[in-house]
Amino acid sequence: MTDPKQAKAIEAEAIERAKQGDEAAFEALYNLHKRRVYSLCLRMVSNPAQAEDLAQEAFLQLFRKISTFRGESAFSTWLHRMTVNVVLMNLRRKGLPLVSLEETLETDEETPRKELGAPDLKLTGSIDRLQLQRAIEKLPPGYKTVFVLHDVEGFEHNEIAEMVGCSIGNSKSQLHKARLKLRDALKFMRAEKAEKT
Amino acid sequence: MNCAEVQQVLPEMVDGSGNSEYQAHLKSCPECSELVSDLELIASEARQLAEVDEPAPRVWVKIAAELRAEGIIREPQAGPARPVLVPSARRRWNAWWLVPVAAALVAAGSYVIKPKPSAPVAEVKNPAGVSVAVTDYPAAPKPATTSEKSAQAVADQKTSKPNDSAGPDDHAPMMTASTADQKFLDGVAPEMRSAYEQQLQAVNSYIRDAEAYLKQNPDDEDARQHLMEANEQKEMLYQMALDRVQ
Repeated sequence: MTDPKQAKAIEAEAIERAKQGDEAAFEALYNLHKRRVYSLCLRMVSNPAQAEDLAQEAFLQLFRKISTFRGESAFSTWLHRMTVNVVLMNLRRKGLPLVSLEETLETDEETPRKELGAPDLKLTGSIDRLQLQRAIEKLPPGYKTVFVLHDVEGFEHNEIAEMVGCSIGNSKSQLHKARLKLRDALKFMRAEKAEKT
Repeated sequence: MNCAEVQQVLPEMVDGSGNSEYQAHLKSCPECSELVSDLELIASEARQLAEVDEPAPRVWVKIAAELRAEGIIREPQAGPARPVLVPSARRRWNAWWLVPVAAALVAAGSYVIKPKPSAPVAEVKNPAGVSVAVTDYPAAPKPATTSEKSAQAVADQKTSKPNDSAGPDDHAPMMTASTADQKFLDGVAPEMRSAYEQQLQAVNSYIRDAEAYLKQNPDDEDARQHLMEANEQKEMLYQMALDRVQ
């Protein structure tokens, strides 16, 4: 297992060599970041084949511009941002909403909600990550975008607002509603599981 | 502050501590308190979601081919360099040969392979007298077991001749190619043969070096993994060439 310091040194060397057109350096950079890039794409689109295409496009865009990389920001941040842009561009091209349409239709009546027929099981204390992953996949596109970018990938609301093209308030609101939906979904899954056992 | 007011400010508060009124309400209202705890838990668990997914090897093959086609990856000036196997923990492995091979396969629009009606089985004898069945072209090489790979590597070494090039004689194997490789090359379009032959030598050379290193360091999991990947990549490249023909 490569430690972070060693990985950083390998990365810095690979970047310089990649600028010279060194194929092994490109591959080394790809190997260092492929999991994160692909995972991000997969979470955003929930389709492995499409996620592979998007990851490929993100790396290509990055490698085409690698000679302009001056190291002011972390390479991973640069790649990460580029990946998000590639995914969002793809969603836009497909006409999928980056901000959930439900946002404009929902009213602010929300009080603590209870799923009809679902027992009031508490989430607190533990969440099955596989179930969380599945619940994220089922989120409406707009909610999913903001949730993945903020809670999974760690972007700030101002960054998300800029990337997605919405207000910061809208980003916060979308995130909150995404979490509420996930809570409901997780409770439902838990209830289903409890019924089976 | 009542429940409805807490709901109003929740999108702003859930990532922060909130004001004293908000905190006081959470202390006195189990329902709101539970809601906030759940949302915080979801957020923290989401951050822990592992990057378990890995793209298929074909993604890198396509990227490398595209970079080469665009001239971003540049050919090394000398012939194919062999990977440096540094006998230390800092040894770095990479399938550097994959890029030129992939590019050769992908970029060659005129790549023609003569189809053969059946896939006869060739037998390669290694010095230890172990027979290794090698499925002939057009079938892609199947993933070999470790012993098969070792036997193949030994066989390759035995038949290697520096700077040799494959002639028309099937009994004069080229530098690093196995019998299966040689027959595969026989089916390649003449204008592509030299390029493909060179890349195949590099691939085999890498695999052979890795196997030799692994033989000396059988507990090196890293080396084992890379050897396995190298064999998989070779298999995939064969398959890729076949796909282009079909």
